[in-house]
Amino acid sequence: MSNRVAVVGGGISRFDNPRYELHEEMCAEAVREMLADNSNIDYPKDIDAVIYSYFSDHLAGQLCFHWIIHDYLGLLPKPAYRVESGGATPIDALINAFMYIKSGIFKNVLVVGWEKMSELDTPKVNEFIAAASDTDFDFPVGGYYTGYYAVLETRHMYLYGETEEDLAKIAVKNHNNATFNPYAQWRSQHGTTFITVDDVFKSRLISWPYRALNCAMISDGAACMLLASEETAKKFTDSPVWITGVGLGTDTMRPGDRVDNPMYRGLYSEDESIYPGVSTKTASPYPEMANFGSIRVSGDMAYKMAGIDNPVKQLDFAELFNPYDGVELAEYEDLRFCKRGEGKILVREGVTDWGGELPCQLSGAHTAAGHPVGATSIAQAMQIYWQLTEQTANKWKTKARALSGAQRALLQGHGGTGCQSGVIIFERG
Amino acid sequence: MAYKPKKIVESLEYNKQWDEWARQGNWSPVGWRWIEGPKGYRLDKLSTTNYLVIQRPHASLYHHSYGMTSKFFKGLLEKKLYGSKCPKCGSIYLPPRAHCWNAECRLEETEWVELPPRGEVHTFSVMAFSATPFLKTLPFIIAYVRVEGCCTTVPTRLLKVNPWDVYPGLKVNINFVEHPKGDIMDIYCTPAETPDPSKRIMSSETVERLKDDMRKVKEWVVRKFGSEAKPSIEI
Repeated sequence: MSNRVAVVGGGISRFDNPRYELHEEMCAEAVREMLADNSNIDYPKDIDAVIYSYFSDHLAGQLCFHWIIHDYLGLLPKPAYRVESGGATPIDALINAFMYIKSGIFKNVLVVGWEKMSELDTPKVNEFIAAASDTDFDFPVGGYYTGYYAVLETRHMYLYGETEEDLAKIAVKNHNNATFNPYAQWRSQHGTTFITVDDVFKSRLISWPYRALNCAMISDGAACMLLASEETAKKFTDSPVWITGVGLGTDTMRPGDRVDNPMYRGLYSEDESIYPGVSTKTASPYPEMANFGSIRVSGDMAYKMAGIDNPVKQLDFAELFNPYDGVELAEYEDLRFCKRGEGKILVREGVTDWGGELPCQLSGAHTAAGHPVGATSIAQAMQIYWQLTEQTANKWKTKARALSGAQRALLQGHGGTGCQSGVIIFERG
Repeated sequence: MAYKPKKIVESLEYNKQWDEWARQGNWSPVGWRWIEGPKGYRLDKLSTTNYLVIQRPHASLYHHSYGMTSKFFKGLLEKKLYGSKCPKCGSIYLPPRAHCWNAECRLEETEWVELPPRGEVHTFSVMAFSATPFLKTLPFIIAYVRVEGCCTTVPTRLLKVNPWDVYPGLKVNINFVEHPKGDIMDIYCTPAETPDPSKRIMSSETVERLKDDMRKVKEWVVRKFGSEAKPSIEI
């Protein structure tokens, strides 16, 4: 493909709850970090367009917040627009920036994402996030996102037999990774001691099988990333990271509609056949209400573009969208890290742990680094960028989770209960 | 007003005080705090500064039309369960769709059929926390139920069963609340059979932990809401 797209810089303003700084001030901090790290960026002259990423107008009680951010950052009168697709918002923004540059209309596109969720109490935040589910059906019965993901995980457990202990092991891995991350909410609120499976079991039940430590945090924070065309990238850096694959996919709004979904019927016949005899087979056995079809679709599209046919061998690490630990386990299957039903084996064998063959969530991700929705995947992308350019040890002031020589990484993000998913493959130059 | 209909066929008029309640708050501060807090973009670069934090409430009243699926919700008010059926492919939807989503049916308009008040649990979860409107009824079970003959599952409350006795495949009855209001909470499920302990999906350790969890959640709800607490799970 001609006109490759590179990542040339970015920054993060730490995730915590609460952050008292204004939304625009957190965004300015992320941009300041980018500028401090890269003196080759002639700001704002080098920025051709900006894509803004934030999820909920309700959380801030402010519509068109990106107009505030855009002028605050001194970027007028440059083109700007906002992307909103639930949890997929930030990965959607990154993929849009990629496509802007691919189109040839813009050379350098800045993506800025943030969320401030601390202005409301936790049940109200859950209510406003649940407004991104079907408010005629799923929400009125007392549904909210932890609950929706919990019913999906119950089904996956029922079909494939992972246990609460498997989920707890994922929580332990991610929280302990986050203790090294100086941008992480868990480190701010909890400190740097490691947790165990028992600590997860002692945390409050939220929606069975999910306990507090299995769940995404409610966070404030911001992040930004600068993408550039092949032509301009060399002006900014000698060590760009290339985006070699992107993918997008979708599934039903209501998770309950997935059982016989005609749009997925027969799409993945091998995975349909990996279906235990414990239950009446649905008409659409994959993904039905156990796996995430949109993630499969987006992953396959990105793999094809990047020339990946064996993800575990060809990827060095991954940052996945993990609002709840069973989601990470199912994603291993949907992203073809293993066969359907074998996610639990990857957990038990430590394949995705630090030191494993394919470490996942070295940042700590949603449950431990924090999840200010519009910023999350951009911050994960920045952690990928720092790993691939070997800046993590310097950024984190420790080598504890810094990879050496990593060549290729995957970022996955999605919104709703996997209603919309995106995947990006990053490679060092 | 959001809707000024040409003709009101039938109605339950809302208490007009809701118009006033929906104007409550009006985004105007009701209090403030001058606080001391951290400032800085990384944990190793924090300083301390002051922030002014205001409290600013607002409320809304939505006038929501159920559109072409209105018959389903009117059915609930009359304690009847309707699904929508595609005349071309025969798929029956609950939740109803006014247009069939099968590609070959090219968004054919569906027709209403009355459904049997029976189904089976496809999957479920035990809620120990929730969004604001449902806190008082914690803990409760949400089950996604496939009503007989339908190609989708509908979220419902599952009552009169211990959470550890619920499993995918459990047969349930659909029941109507005594006074339907016109939303999906007008129906709830109860087991239609004695749960089979051999089909449990929870280990004995999980059951013990869950019993303890249920006790703690009930204590929390009662502590928070006193006599207004209405836990949905009896143990």
